[in-house]
Amino acid sequence: MVLVEGLIGVTLVSAFAVIFAPDRYAGKLATGLSLIPLAGSLFMYANFAGSGNALLGGDLAYETTVTWFEVGGYGLNWHVGVDGISLPLLVLTTILTTLALVSSWTPIDDRESQFYGLMLLLEVALIGVFTALDFFLWFVFWEGVLIPMYFLIGVWGGPRRKYAAIKFLVYTNVASLIMFIGLFALVFGLGDSLTSLDIPAIAQGVRGGELGALAGVQPETLKLGAFLAMFAGFAVKVPVVPFHTWLPDAHVEAPTPVSVVLAGVLLKMGTYALLRFNFTMLADVARDLALPIAAIGVLSVIYGAMLALAQRDLKRVVAYSSISSMGYVVLGLVAFTPHGMGGATFQMISHGLISGLMFMAVGVIYNASHTRMVGDMSGMADRMPWTVGIFVAAAFGYMGLPLMSGFAAEVLVFIGSFQSTVIPFATVLTALAMFGIVVVAGYLLWAMQRTLFGSYSLETDYEVGRAPVHDVAPLAVLLVLVITLGVAPDLFYAMIQDAVDPLLGGGV
Amino acid sequence: MAIQPQFYLLLSAGVFCAGLFGVLTRSNALMFLMSVELMLNAANINFVAFSFYYGNVTGQVFSLFVMGLAAAEVAVGIGIILVLYRNFGDIDVTGPVTMRR
Amino acid sequence: MAVFDYAPAIAVLPLAAFALALFGGRYLPKRGAIAGIAATGGSLVLSLWMLVTIALGADPHQQTLYTFVAGADGVASVDLSFGIFIDQLSALMLVIVSLISLLVHVFSLGYMNDEGETGLPRYYAGLGLFTFSMLAFVFSDNLLMSFMFFELVGLCSFLLIGFWFRDDAPSSAAKKAFLVTRFGDYFFLIGVVAVFATFGTTAFVGEESFIAMAEHAMPGSEAAVPGVVSDWLGVVGLSASQWFTVVGLLVLGGVIGKSAQFPLHTWLPDAMEGPTPVSALIHAATMVAAGVYLVARMYGFYALSPTALGIIALVGGFTALFAATMALVKQELKQVLAYSTISQYGYMMLALGGGGYVAAVFHLTTHAAFKALLFLGAGSVIIAMHHNENMWDMGGLKDRMPVTYATFLAGSLALAGVFPFAGFWSKDEVLFETLVHGLGSTGGTLLLLGYAFGLLAVVFTALYTFRMVFLTFHGDARTDTAEDPEPVRWNVKLPLAVLGVLATVVGVINLGAVKKIIGESNLFLHEWLFHGAEGLNGEHYEELLHDFAGYTAAELPGGPLAPAAVSLGLALVGVGLAYRLYGGADPDPHMLKLGSVRTTLMNNYYLDEFQVWLAMSVTAPVARVADTFDQGIVDGVVNGISSVSLLSGDRFREIQTGIVTNYAALLTLGLTLLVLVFALAGGWF
Repeated sequence: MVLVEGLIGVTLVSAFAVIFAPDRYAGKLATGLSLIPLAGSLFMYANFAGSGNALLGGDLAYETTVTWFEVGGYGLNWHVGVDGISLPLLVLTTILTTLALVSSWTPIDDRESQFYGLMLLLEVALIGVFTALDFFLWFVFWEGVLIPMYFLIGVWGGPRRKYAAIKFLVYTNVASLIMFIGLFALVFGLGDSLTSLDIPAIAQGVRGGELGALAGVQPETLKLGAFLAMFAGFAVKVPVVPFHTWLPDAHVEAPTPVSVVLAGVLLKMGTYALLRFNFTMLADVARDLALPIAAIGVLSVIYGAMLALAQRDLKRVVAYSSISSMGYVVLGLVAFTPHGMGGATFQMISHGLISGLMFMAVGVIYNASHTRMVGDMSGMADRMPWTVGIFVAAAFGYMGLPLMSGFAAEVLVFIGSFQSTVIPFATVLTALAMFGIVVVAGYLLWAMQRTLFGSYSLETDYEVGRAPVHDVAPLAVLLVLVITLGVAPDLFYAMIQDAVDPLLGGGV
Repeated sequence: MAIQPQFYLLLSAGVFCAGLFGVLTRSNALMFLMSVELMLNAANINFVAFSFYYGNVTGQVFSLFVMGLAAAEVAVGIGIILVLYRNFGDIDVTGPVTMRR
Repeated sequence: MAVFDYAPAIAVLPLAAFALALFGGRYLPKRGAIAGIAATGGSLVLSLWMLVTIALGADPHQQTLYTFVAGADGVASVDLSFGIFIDQLSALMLVIVSLISLLVHVFSLGYMNDEGETGLPRYYAGLGLFTFSMLAFVFSDNLLMSFMFFELVGLCSFLLIGFWFRDDAPSSAAKKAFLVTRFGDYFFLIGVVAVFATFGTTAFVGEESFIAMAEHAMPGSEAAVPGVVSDWLGVVGLSASQWFTVVGLLVLGGVIGKSAQFPLHTWLPDAMEGPTPVSALIHAATMVAAGVYLVARMYGFYALSPTALGIIALVGGFTALFAATMALVKQELKQVLAYSTISQYGYMMLALGGGGYVAAVFHLTTHAAFKALLFLGAGSVIIAMHHNENMWDMGGLKDRMPVTYATFLAGSLALAGVFPFAGFWSKDEVLFETLVHGLGSTGGTLLLLGYAFGLLAVVFTALYTFRMVFLTFHGDARTDTAEDPEPVRWNVKLPLAVLGVLATVVGVINLGAVKKIIGESNLFLHEWLFHGAEGLNGEHYEELLHDFAGYTAAELPGGPLAPAAVSLGLALVGVGLAYRLYGGADPDPHMLKLGSVRTTLMNNYYLDEFQVWLAMSVTAPVARVADTFDQGIVDGVVNGISSVSLLSGDRFREIQTGIVTNYAALLTLGLTLLVLVFALAGGWF
């Protein structure tokens, strides 16, 4: 099967086609072309026949392995494929990209062809991150995400865009470096037993106890060091407190569609990598460190929510609450229970959809009012009833309202982490993390009451009318998806559970 | 009776130091160029001396290469000096520091 | 059983009405009202059918409808599913909910359509969703499903209380209602998760249900302790009864929030900002009833823990009295009713805590009838008064709106607990059950305390109820509007009439006070609830209460008659007092004489202020401090690292003078140093 290559190739060609297209058609062209990878990923979903975990000898779908070249005794392979964890994320990427492209039609009115081209390049790299199974290849895509993102924030962003873009790039790049060192410590520790940088091979080697001493460092210490380095590296991407400060800046400065992809997909790269590397390769270290990791997760939930409470900029509110929501993912992953890890993975998808929806909704209101500040506007419901209706629904989704995907994800995480025997004091920590659902309701309801309800007023000199259909349509699509996944989580959750299950087994 | 190699080395070191001294003390670009030539030729002396000593012609071939390279380098160097003169009215190398930052 | 195949439609019909009204309400007759009426009417018919089927001897019906998370094979994995469970309790509740909802829909024609409101599709969509959520909550067969629809009920209350979103007060009240109940639901959710972790299931029904498993896990139970439970108890390190008490109290958090019990009752009076029919729906049958219903649904679990029961009784009794005192001084018609709702749900909680399962369900039933009646009656008065709710601007309405007056009076007599209206029978039963269990049980002090609160509240209830009646309907008209009120139409009078009849006679289903005379077997509700599903009926609950909670009913010499006489006497005292104070043609505002006490009561014991203080003066500053900390320290470190590297880069750049000679000197120096280092290390010297 060459479907993954097809997705990447078609998107790459589309990206260049759009860059050289005239500005006038770029938006529509990019959206149209992005339907191809979307259709492709849905086709992959419909015909998915894989089972088990990709790293632990599971049956991969759409797998290809081609040796690319050899360097330093390691074969670098083009090895791609998907399992039940990566396929939902792949579908999320293609869906969100298409919707983000539609939502750019209104706000982006400068250098359109370059903007849309970069968005498609970003999609290429993201598809690569979620499908690549060779470390070299994966790292190329991982770093490749940064470049279009840097320009998207730095060129089309708000007033402090340069600061935000450089902060984003440097912060995440330094993190990648630390992670890279950590992984290579493992690769060299495996020594001659490893003949390629194949991620499953590394994972199985490390889990199989083939790790030797490296430069006088014992395997156990080596594992701990590698775990900490990789955790620090991915923690920046997630982000978990206290490595989160690049996120609000990046979100506030980025244009809406970029925020959508940033919150919806980029953050999931961090938790995806955490799941693949830290919690699969080094599961035994993760179990030993369960208490501090769970504590960091709980801290992210509560601290992020408290920060969201103090913000006046709607985008900052959503940005900080993303930190809060990603804390649930960390908590769920470290639980090492079926619903904990499965729920955490499902939360990645769910949060991707809901946070994307929230950012888009804020963006639609911003397009009309040109302000995002709570207090600069009120009674928007009077002027944009459908937009506000979807905004309210999205906010309740964020609060974890039942029958929406956020509830399914959160309740699964809570069940999983509450009954975890890996985390010490699991019940207390889970109960603490659950308090996040009260705080999130507090700040979202507060922000909604101040901006959407009450009598209509606006501080800026713009006339607010109903939003154009192409602004609201992506919102409606996302809302439908959120509700669908809330009513039928098994659409994704079944395959996620199947892929997560091998991680829970004994041995390590 | 051939001359001992250490004398060649001493000569070469002396020429090299003369060149280095020129580079460190002179500010005239032409003097610079000449000093660099001196240092190159100090290396050439070594090449030829060892080639002679070991009875291997590779070193002499290398010295020919270095001479050819030096000639080309002089051509480029003179070109740079001409541009320098045209832009700054002087060939003092301590003057133009605008590329510093 | 073919009948029960239609059960899901009970909830699905209002959901369909919701979708119709939301997307096509603009094109529907009456903006979606007709669809809502048809749907709730259908639900009512189906519910009655279920009720009759069960009354004719059908077994309770449990069926899993839809599994939305199928647990994978493996350790501690569970299915999450939706299912229906129709038994005596849920069938009764389904009838109540769909009946009240139908009447509220009809009433809304008069209250909303005739008043020319805008946004009606949204209103009817909200009502449909509200009814759907509540009906689904009622027939859920597991705790997780209950929780989900419990939350959806909260969402609907948000949407409907905040219906007039263009004004500040309703949107603020909506926010408060959701947030305060969310706070309670936080504990409920922990409880649900804890039930999952403990039992691996949240089912209500059957031998594999968490209720049955909890009973088996109790020390003293004859059945074997389920392995999953004993494993879990080992993990948490508590005994079965301790842990079940903890879980029960956690779930109780949600109950206290939704059923507006102290201290989470503050959202309910504010919720009066919503349209009056919505208030009727919230108070009589849906949201507030959900909490009490939940305790009744899983009563078998609570019956295992005397501590939890005692706390329920105490909270309920205290709330009953506490809310009644505040109702005494309120000037708005709906405010009085709001506090009376809190107080009445306090009675139900008191009954549940006091071992009176039947009494609680009975009071829930009668209260649904008379509180819906009172709210709709108040709505009728509000239409007549052009949306002025202040009772001091009314007076003398009884001659001008006779239907409203007659029905409202019936509701008030029921609320006050006057013989022979419905409220008398149920309230008496609540107090009687609490009293006998308090006297007969070893640890009955809490119950007796709750009983004392409840008994005192009877006087206050009668007083505030008839203060309201006299001020609104009797005496002289105090304003021009009251002189010439706007007439109301059939769509207002019809629901009032139906409910008026019910409020008068519905007590007949359980004439507990005279059971010596008519015989135990003629206590229909008692019989009804004692023949429920295996392990989920009143009889079994009594055994559980006796075995595990140590509840024993004391034998009173006069039977139930004497306590009934006491409570009736107290109610009459209250009514008499109200007549004495407010019965005249031009009554004085006597409550002003209470001075600072009245101010405290008017301000709801400053509990609202306290909660606002918690939000604004504690949480908000903490959040601001966190923000400053984050921007200053956490982000400061990040920016600091970048500044340090930029600064050191600046310093190092000084080496680059741009003068070739300097570079050459540095090169030479470096080479010399290297040679020296290698020489020293290589031992040349």
